[in-house]
Amino acid sequence: MTSKNEDPGSSQTTSTPANDTMSSKTGARRLPPPEKSEAIQTRFKVIAAFWAVIIFLGFPIWWKTTSIYRARLPIQDMVEWADGKTCRPVFPLEIHFETPSLPESEAHHLLRTTQHTLDDLNEFSAHHLRLKLSEENSVAIHEDILEQPQPALGGKADTALVVRLLPQEDLAAPRSELHPDTTRLDVYYPPSQIPPPSASNPPLSAYIAGELQNLFTEEKAIIAQVLSDNNVGGAITPTSSSSNNQQQPSAILNSISPQLAESITRRLRRSMKYAETYHLAFSLFTPGSEPSSWDVKTAVEEYISPLLQAFAPISNFTVDTQVQLYATSAPTAPLPVYDETQAAWTLKKEDLSAFINAAEWPLSPSIGSGPTINFILYVPAPSQSPMVVKESSATSWIIPQWGGVFLLNHPLSTADHSSNPPHLSQEALRPAFLTFSHQLLTLLGAPATPASLPFRLQTLIRIRAATLLLSASSTMGSLARLTESLPSIPIPANVATSVSTTLSHLASTCEHLREGRFQAALADARVAETEAERSFFEKSMVGQVYFPDEHKVAVYLPLLGPVGVPLIVGLLKEVKRIVTGLKAKKQQT
Amino acid sequence: MIVLSLFPLFLLVALSSLTYATSDYHESLTLQPLPQSSLLASFNFRSNASQESFDERNFRHFPRALGQILQHAHTKELHLRFTTGRWDAESWGSRPWYGVKEGNTGVELWAWIDGADDQECVQSSSDPCSLDAYADEDKRAFAKWITLTQSLSGLFCASLNFIDSTRTTRPVASFSLAGDHPASSNLHLLHGTLPGEVVCTENLTPFLKLLPCKGKAGVASLLDGHKLFDASWQSMSVDVRPVCSGPDDCLVQIEQTVDIVLDLDRSKRPRDNPIPRPVPNDQLACDTSKPYHSDDTCYPLEKTSEGGWSLSEIFGRTVSGVCPLGDSQSSEETICLRVPHERGVAVSEGAVETRKPDGFTRCYTLQPSGAFDLVMPEQEATTHVPLDEPVLRAERTIVGHGVERGGMRIIFDNPSDTDAVDFMYFETLPWFLRPYVHTLQATITGRDGIRRQVPTSQLIKETFYRPAIDRERGTQLELALSVPAASTVTLTYDFEKAILRYTEYPPDANRGFNVAPAVIKLGGHENPIYMRTTSLLLPLPTPDFSMPYNVIILTSTVIALAFGSIFNLLVRRFVSAEEAAALTSQTLKGRLAGKVVAIRDRIKGKSAKVE
Repeated sequence: MTSKNEDPGSSQTTSTPANDTMSSKTGARRLPPPEKSEAIQTRFKVIAAFWAVIIFLGFPIWWKTTSIYRARLPIQDMVEWADGKTCRPVFPLEIHFETPSLPESEAHHLLRTTQHTLDDLNEFSAHHLRLKLSEENSVAIHEDILEQPQPALGGKADTALVVRLLPQEDLAAPRSELHPDTTRLDVYYPPSQIPPPSASNPPLSAYIAGELQNLFTEEKAIIAQVLSDNNVGGAITPTSSSSNNQQQPSAILNSISPQLAESITRRLRRSMKYAETYHLAFSLFTPGSEPSSWDVKTAVEEYISPLLQAFAPISNFTVDTQVQLYATSAPTAPLPVYDETQAAWTLKKEDLSAFINAAEWPLSPSIGSGPTINFILYVPAPSQSPMVVKESSATSWIIPQWGGVFLLNHPLSTADHSSNPPHLSQEALRPAFLTFSHQLLTLLGAPATPASLPFRLQTLIRIRAATLLLSASSTMGSLARLTESLPSIPIPANVATSVSTTLSHLASTCEHLREGRFQAALADARVAETEAERSFFEKSMVGQVYFPDEHKVAVYLPLLGPVGVPLIVGLLKEVKRIVTGLKAKKQQT
Repeated sequence: MIVLSLFPLFLLVALSSLTYATSDYHESLTLQPLPQSSLLASFNFRSNASQESFDERNFRHFPRALGQILQHAHTKELHLRFTTGRWDAESWGSRPWYGVKEGNTGVELWAWIDGADDQECVQSSSDPCSLDAYADEDKRAFAKWITLTQSLSGLFCASLNFIDSTRTTRPVASFSLAGDHPASSNLHLLHGTLPGEVVCTENLTPFLKLLPCKGKAGVASLLDGHKLFDASWQSMSVDVRPVCSGPDDCLVQIEQTVDIVLDLDRSKRPRDNPIPRPVPNDQLACDTSKPYHSDDTCYPLEKTSEGGWSLSEIFGRTVSGVCPLGDSQSSEETICLRVPHERGVAVSEGAVETRKPDGFTRCYTLQPSGAFDLVMPEQEATTHVPLDEPVLRAERTIVGHGVERGGMRIIFDNPSDTDAVDFMYFETLPWFLRPYVHTLQATITGRDGIRRQVPTSQLIKETFYRPAIDRERGTQLELALSVPAASTVTLTYDFEKAILRYTEYPPDANRGFNVAPAVIKLGGHENPIYMRTTSLLLPLPTPDFSMPYNVIILTSTVIALAFGSIFNLLVRRFVSAEEAAALTSQTLKGRLAGKVVAIRDRIKGKSAKVE
């Protein structure tokens, strides 16, 4: 490097100190001739050409090859859905009145006054009852609402309840009766109580309103709980309607009894997350070799299938059963203790969670999408029979979000005390399967009251629609936050499609809810939830989430260091020269 | 109304009687001492479920975990094998179950999968479905096959999920359906193998869980991972097949077997002291007639006595009762022993012995509960149980040297002096092993030891060949061969080794790559005999795995050097050295440097004076 040196503008030196001292001592002081302008021009062109290649060719190629495809997502809409700004779920329940024995004007009056009383009683505006006079005053139109084919779009609102007013002569006060297998409430009243057209608040109306209010208390509380859990209530802006009626869901939660609130939160905690398909697995476990067969087929047909048919509009179910012998409890599990007073082997309540030997019992979840609900029928060994739970003497319990257990203590009064029967008949399975059907209802999240099963299913449809709407919305919000916080993840086009499908279905769910078509709302919410989950769990999004910057630097630096430094220094020098040239020109002028 | 209420009752009775009749369970254990103080133990477990209850998912003896996998993957027949070790045909004779229950070293899986579509094609039987129906069906069957391997991988804790398209073949003639299937079904046979899989206890535990008695009762209680995988050779199999006795009277049968060859001396080691130690000098049986016999030299004598073992000694436990699920509660002969009848055997009380007329087999019927042990006292052996001679011996090796090319040599030896042997030879080669089929050559060596080259067409009657596609599928070669009596046939062909991509190498690339054993099928469809060669290790050219970083650094350096000098040539001005010095002294830096040097010179000068 000694033979060549920098141009006059250079501040860099590469000559050795020895060389330097020598030159300073010799002191020749012969400066090179000033550079020709062509040379300066050429240098400028060379540097400009290099930088042109870098900027117009290198940079675009680098950008193109390393950028990731990110489809455009409607971030704003998604966040608004998640915050509950777009949709405020409301539940206008349509209740039909059948008044076969009343003239129309009186019926209308009764309806009006009842509606008025109801509105006064209601504290939770999102959930309100709308009374309607049945158009065809016939009896048999809504025998089973669940079997009606539901129009997917448009159409009338679902009828939540049919109230039939029947006069009965020998009654002092009105009484009501809910049909256990339909959604019909029969109200018997003494004919004398038909309100005169002038009365503003007749006792019959008050009675009916109170009954209706009672029927829907639990549903209202659950929905309020669901809404407040998802913080939707907080974001609702009060609409223009009567503002004193416009209370937050938390307010209604405060107004219900603590016992009810407690049981609702417990129920919500226990119930399974909503799924399109549930797999039910009924298993017979026994520590010995007997019983080794059971009439499970007929038992399921008899006790479980009707329930599953009733649930058909909400979810699909598959059923499988198995027999597992020699199923011993885990070595760490506490053993049952014989209790003299109860004359039984007892399990402590806190030990129940260790009862299932998850390591050894083949309780693998079913294949295919959807969670598995396990029902375990455990036949204790004859030496440990009867087996009960210590605190309550119960023989069954629910494992939250997993399934149920039933201890089948076979009556040992028979001659042979030493062994279990080899076969369990359908009759022997009856208590177990009735318990399982109850546990199934609880695990699916159906409310405990009132007695009518179709009514509870209707409630469940509304609750599920609300939960799905909220969960899909919050998934959208999470996805929006995720894509914003991780700018390096790719967003494939099908995610964008799924998101738009979700949003459109969410919108139609909301619309259906507002119109009171809950089954259609549920159907849309199901689609929305599936699509939302699909978009959130898209595999190709997580594929390249993390390619850290250090790695990039490690790969680029060996190349960019030696190449980049001369280029940048060259550019800086050139810029400096041009700037000094310009200054010199200014001074000259 | 009465009829209505009676009808379900009748149905119930009919159904319960049906389930009793169609759902049964059998298990058995056969023990056969082999030469060289080995013992072959063959466990067999078989249970049935009616097709109806299987379809309705009411599982009783059939394991639910496996049942739902089969239903999910539309698999009609399944064969799964876990094998380790090598069957020593020279000294042990022919294989147990004629090799039908045996698999490749590692894991082997083959299944018949229903390729029919569930709904779509039935609804619209127009163009898109019928056009390339077969290709579609093939694809669907393959998708289900992938589902099957993934699920089985989870169930058996084996790497079955690594059976991808490159390890999947569709054998044409080497495997045939073992069950009864409706004639109209669209079944696709898919076959996959993992020669490198290490079979161990974690595969045995799920295997035992599939049994109705879970290894807690019956002969399965002998199965202990420590002893099982300490064996010289072991093979586990699961077979599921439909068995039909009438058009609508079908059963789904699951048969599980475990075959092990135990080294008796090795298994008798106590569990708390498993380290083998040398036999003390005074206990050695030496041939004293040898001239060099002394205190420190010993020519070991062949043992003349045999036996001296018991079940509890070699398995570490006793049989705990019977698995009480069989139809005939206690009349089943569960444990059979193949030793000459004059041999003394002691068994636990209560077990009933029956001797078979062949003179070598005795079977025991066990007590329903209570432990069963079998003791073979040490005894001078007079007669031996005759072992079947294998009908064919096969050996397969990789020959050649270097990392670029190699060759395969397969030797078939027909021990019979009178009969020729016809068989199917099936091998799958990984795609990175590229065979040249045109180099396939055959030589025949007679008993006289004379080798002669013969045209391959003289030996090979049929060839099914499916060439490999890089990274998509492996080579599939099926040959129908015939080996003449009293001769040895050697087949050879050359191959080329491919160079893999950097990411395709496994972590232990220098160990070599496993090549699956070849499968040999003798006999017709009715009673086939299977044999398998050993698996091979193929060394491939392996790169230095720090290569990418070296490449990055090296190329960067080269580019930087080239670029730097070119760039400097272009942009720098060239002046003479004196001029350069003058220029340097003008700049601030140059003057500073000059002063620094001057100061240094002064200090140096001072120090020189002090000296």
